[in-house]
Amino acid sequence: MGKQLISPLNSLILASFVFLMGCSLTPASKPVASSQRPGGTGQDQGSSTGMRSGQVTETAQSSSLEAFRRGQEIPSASRRSAGSPLKDIYFDFDRYSLQPEARQTLKANASWLKTNPSGRIEIEGHADERGTNEYNLALGARRAQTIKDYLSTLGITSDRLSTISYGEELPVCKGPGESCWQKNRRAHFVIISLGPSS
Amino acid sequence: MVHKSLLIVSFIIAMLGFGSLPLQAQVKGLIVGPGAERFPIAVPLLKNLGPKMDDGKYSNGMADIVARDLELSGWFKVLDRSAYIEDSRRTGTALGRFDFRDWSTLGAEALVKGGFEVSGQSIVAEFRLFDVYRRRQIVGKRYTAEIKDFRRISHKFVDEIIYQFTGERGVFDTRIAYVSTGGGRFKEIYVAHMDGTERVQLTKNRTINLSPSWSPNGRTLLYTSFKEGKPRVYQRDLSSGKDSMFSSRTGLNLGGSWSSDGKTIALSLERRGNVDVYLLDQLGKIVRRLTKNSGIDVSPSWSPNGDRLVFVSNRSGSPQLYIKDLSGGETKRLTYTGGYNTSPEWSSKGDKIAYTGRSGGRFNIFTIAAKGGDPQMLTSNSGDNEDPSWSPDGRYIVFSSNRNGRYNLYLMRATGENQRRLTVSPGDDTNPSWSPRLD
Repeated sequence: MGKQLISPLNSLILASFVFLMGCSLTPASKPVASSQRPGGTGQDQGSSTGMRSGQVTETAQSSSLEAFRRGQEIPSASRRSAGSPLKDIYFDFDRYSLQPEARQTLKANASWLKTNPSGRIEIEGHADERGTNEYNLALGARRAQTIKDYLSTLGITSDRLSTISYGEELPVCKGPGESCWQKNRRAHFVIISLGPSS
Repeated sequence: MVHKSLLIVSFIIAMLGFGSLPLQAQVKGLIVGPGAERFPIAVPLLKNLGPKMDDGKYSNGMADIVARDLELSGWFKVLDRSAYIEDSRRTGTALGRFDFRDWSTLGAEALVKGGFEVSGQSIVAEFRLFDVYRRRQIVGKRYTAEIKDFRRISHKFVDEIIYQFTGERGVFDTRIAYVSTGGGRFKEIYVAHMDGTERVQLTKNRTINLSPSWSPNGRTLLYTSFKEGKPRVYQRDLSSGKDSMFSSRTGLNLGGSWSSDGKTIALSLERRGNVDVYLLDQLGKIVRRLTKNSGIDVSPSWSPNGDRLVFVSNRSGSPQLYIKDLSGGETKRLTYTGGYNTSPEWSSKGDKIAYTGRSGGRFNIFTIAAKGGDPQMLTSNSGDNEDPSWSPDGRYIVFSSNRNGRYNLYLMRATGENQRRLTVSPGDDTNPSWSPRLD
């Protein structure tokens, strides 16, 4: 059986706890992820040294489903965007194989995970709107698993990686056409926890 | 609650007068062939036979439902009521109480007359179907029901009319479960009458809900929901309105197709990214794993006699339909046309499978013989058309189409003829599932 994920309720409690501790947070209309320091990639030390003992890190993020339920923008972390240190991976239509660019991004994401050895993430698999909901949920599951398997080959233990598929249900871009569809055929990473400070 | 009215309806039905021989003997050739002429029929307002005043709710309402159902059936052309010449204040509904010439002069070949009486919480309604040329009553029925179920009386009589004309009962007293955004962002499960009216919202989970699927006895619905954060399959009891968990395994739990005897449910489950088809019992326990493929195997649909299942697999490199024989264990590919074929549904007659196929960049509804062969494309040049579901008599298909902008539910004959819009809603209506015959 897979590892138990933090339920949406627990992540809300997590977020509330951070708020109570007086950490700076973005306003409610933006996903929590954008509160992180900009320019974060795998080598950014800032997010881990910013922690005090016993405190939950402000880099805990909302999942796409949580953002959706709250009426917020579905988060995306494209390569050029500031925000999450873990960038989204993109796929070809009806495919779950990794393109060279995807492998590069995953290597960077793996570095971040190695720098934050107690960090746990959830890998979300998504699809564009074409095709049926059921097939796309299965496709998203395959995409998330492909990423998990690849990160394992890069030395990240599987107990730190959970997966979930949202199929075509949570697009970041709405509307027909390849420019939108391309952005939706993705895997997105959600930092579940960074664990206790070392 | 409203759910009760979907199921616990008592109808007392009595035969009226003398029926003559069924009409199908002489009209069969006229209405059952593809592309056949539609049979001209008149449906005047119902007569109020009781003392209580009616503002048209029953006299117009019940006649309108009959007229619309007959149009939806694709077999009838309902003559415009504004052309009717009979003075209903001077005539009755039974033989001898009206003049057939008032109807034959309009070109009507059949006539539906009715009357009703409301008393207390009940309504008594009678409907009669006449053969205008032979000047005979074909069939007459009297119905007694709770007043809130008056619409079902109309639908039931339409089923009777269709029986008289085709030898097989109609499906106009059934329901369709589906997913709708209702104008907002959440996808919830709804149930409507098969004509698209009387919609009821079943879930208020404020999340993504998908793939409703009726049990063969019409009492429960399986559906897939992210209401607990992960894709799980729930079972909704339609009379109590309560949900119970059906499958909450790690990973994807998706869909649900019931065997005709209601004992086995085919579901898609995931193990480490790999989605496969499994058979579960009524308690959600796995009884058999049907596919062991390292790709995607999803969306099973049972054959009506329970010996086979059709499902989607990408084992050949793209999603195609395959049929698994349950006794022999053999899996055979069904579709060879088109590069992307999904959401199969096995017709209740057992001979055909409907599915969604991608052609020319758009999605269309196809049917293919269960034994294989060339597919028939039923929709074209009308946006994207997806998620077919068969009526319980195998003569109609409901599907979702965005031909008018947003996705709405559409109805068509199994031949693709008579495509009619069923739902009008502010959001997107998708994933329809046609109920079994109810009651």
